[in-house]
Amino acid sequence: MEIPHTVTPRKDNGLFNAKVGIWLFLASEVMLFGGLFSAYVFMRIYADYPWPERALPIVPGLINTFVLIGSSVTVVFAWASLKMRQWRRFQIFMAITIACAGIFMVLKAIEYKAKWDHQAVRVDDFTIVEGHVHYATILSNGKVEHFHTKKEAQEAGEKDAETANKVAEEKVTTAAKEKDEEFDGLGKADLWKAGKPFKANVVLFKPETIDFSLVRAHESWVNAMLEQAEKRKSRLVTARDLFIYGDIEDYSGTESEPMSSKARAEQEAQLVKKFAMADEKKDRKFGQNSLFIPAGTLLSYTLLEEARKVFVAGRAHNAATRTTILKENWKKVKEKWPGDKYWEQASEARIDAATQLDEQVDEAGNCSAGSKVVSLVSTLSFKMDPPQPLIIKRSWIKRPVKEQDGKAELRDDTSLNAGEGEDAAPGLLESPLALSVDAIDFRWVAQKAEEAGNDPMEMIEQSWIFSKANKNGSTYRKIWKVHKKRIGQLEQRLIDKYGKDEEGKPRRVATETDRYRVTWQDFVHYARAEHDALMPGDSGFDDLRPKFWNGFAGPNHKDEEIHKLHAFPELEIPHHKVSMQSMFTPKWNTYYAIYFTLTGLHGLHVVGGAIVLSYYLFFSKGLYRRNPEWLANRVEVGGLFWHFVDLVWIFLFPILYLM
Amino acid sequence: MADTPEEIKKAQKKYLLIGLILFVFTVVTVSVATVPWLDFGEHGFDARDATIGLVIATIKAGLVGAIFMHLSHEKKTIYVLIVIGILMGIFLMGLTGWVFGDPTEYGNSVEGDGFYNPEVMAEQH
Repeated sequence: MEIPHTVTPRKDNGLFNAKVGIWLFLASEVMLFGGLFSAYVFMRIYADYPWPERALPIVPGLINTFVLIGSSVTVVFAWASLKMRQWRRFQIFMAITIACAGIFMVLKAIEYKAKWDHQAVRVDDFTIVEGHVHYATILSNGKVEHFHTKKEAQEAGEKDAETANKVAEEKVTTAAKEKDEEFDGLGKADLWKAGKPFKANVVLFKPETIDFSLVRAHESWVNAMLEQAEKRKSRLVTARDLFIYGDIEDYSGTESEPMSSKARAEQEAQLVKKFAMADEKKDRKFGQNSLFIPAGTLLSYTLLEEARKVFVAGRAHNAATRTTILKENWKKVKEKWPGDKYWEQASEARIDAATQLDEQVDEAGNCSAGSKVVSLVSTLSFKMDPPQPLIIKRSWIKRPVKEQDGKAELRDDTSLNAGEGEDAAPGLLESPLALSVDAIDFRWVAQKAEEAGNDPMEMIEQSWIFSKANKNGSTYRKIWKVHKKRIGQLEQRLIDKYGKDEEGKPRRVATETDRYRVTWQDFVHYARAEHDALMPGDSGFDDLRPKFWNGFAGPNHKDEEIHKLHAFPELEIPHHKVSMQSMFTPKWNTYYAIYFTLTGLHGLHVVGGAIVLSYYLFFSKGLYRRNPEWLANRVEVGGLFWHFVDLVWIFLFPILYLM
Repeated sequence: MADTPEEIKKAQKKYLLIGLILFVFTVVTVSVATVPWLDFGEHGFDARDATIGLVIATIKAGLVGAIFMHLSHEKKTIYVLIVIGILMGIFLMGLTGWVFGDPTEYGNSVEGDGFYNPEVMAEQH
């Protein structure tokens, strides 16, 4: 069947089918991107934090603009070539267009990667610190060490493992020699394996015990902790024998044969004996729905699940019992005051299941013999043997942990506890967020100060980063001094050039970003100046400033000069000072959320467009021979989409990169 | 619309010229944002810089639309489709704006700002 109007235009509107189709699609695209652009505008206008202004590296964005404009020209040339029936020329232009799409995506990937590798921290006084987060590794002695790079951390870990294994082997060999036994090396299980380096933006905890909530424990978190314990040659085991009941008959016998507390204790003792006969210590079921967890049972999520089932059954039983008691109570009330409405009886009647249930519970909280309710166990406690550091993501923790707490509560109600006594595990380990700083932003501090009617500069200078509590404080105080001087000179220059108004106010002043944000260019600038012993105002000082095209996708921590000048100084932020930390991802703030949404969606359009154009290039020779005009129409439609992709970028570039 | 091979041959020069203009405009936009003596309005980024950037972007988009997408000589149906698309887009933006301009009254607004004020809320309870 021949499809009409693939080449010849329709009589009603003078267009071929595909063109109407693509324009309908583009109209919907206008609405989609229009909606997202409006989201950007409103997010920016109503942002309650200083908007990251001109925060993206211009060069990759600029090159991408040239690349897309260039590809728009080549795609139109490809179409023109088909119209003129020049197949070879069409191939060349189409190939260039697709190559441009490739370049665009590669540059985008470099830009995204830089964001993903770049750390941002909000200190609790609203100072924003940006930089390259350090890496840490846990050594065989349980100590945590920090390194600038992942590679250094990896190497240190491996070296430590090697030494530890050597020492262990020597020890065992000597012991074997003393006993005159043969020894042929440590087993695989005995060897210490170097841990993976991790980013120093986590909280480290060395718990004595961990309590898991049976109802809420998060499977992946439990498994992550288990995996870490195993790696560090530690075990998470229950400390004591535990019976948990979900069935009333297991607990207090049947109504005809009630079980006394003594009888229950005897039954439990028998069960312990019976299970001790088995080789392996593991969870044991007994009765209808009850569980015996012997001391020394290893933690597993399955065990928690089993215990949860018992808990849920017990809870359901207790709830049903409570309902029954209430019903009986009401029945009695109705019998006592027949004919009355329930609200008339309310003040007189005793409808109180809780008290009646409480009567069955003794002071220690144990239910008495013949009780109708079971004692519920809602958490299981495990001992970490021996205590080893656990890496806990900041996002898992319910509320900021303070050093003195010695305890962390996770959002799934898991509790990591310090031990008591001198030799016990300390709980929270000193786990500062360590990074090499390449930007500090005080704009939020200034904003908060102005809101409270304080002097921004005063508040900034009182911030933690400049305080004596910060062990690197002096470095930052020095940088701030130079920065203030440079901004002072800039303000003077603006007055010299533009003068003051009638009220004596300068016509032009330095921007908030100039004043309150120390950028990576500033860091490099001041480090160079310090090296050359120059201060703001000295001749040659301004020439030392990096240009906007330096640092392709942002600050380059691997740059030799930066490394040599030590331009990006270290900082260790105590973890309780960190209000929020994130890579430069959508989580960080609404700017990065909308940046990734807009550029990500645009990137998907580039990929989609490139696939369609590649189809024309590689699979359309046959159609060209049969019906070249049809192919030209197809390319025109694909080209229209490509131009639209270019058009969106024409707006995205200035909005995201230059404003 | 350039449809015959002769017309298309002629149009190619125009496409190249438009490409060049787009390149130049891009350079202008970046210069206005980065070169100090091309900084319009107040020192640093401000509303005037934003306006200049967006005006240039709109001109560039107009050129791409008019020449590369042949909108300078298209059929009526296409114009109708685009205008509906743009109007709907503006309408959607307006809806968002309307939400911001008409905040929910929490009954605890400070001098009638209409916004939720947790401090006032705390005082009231």
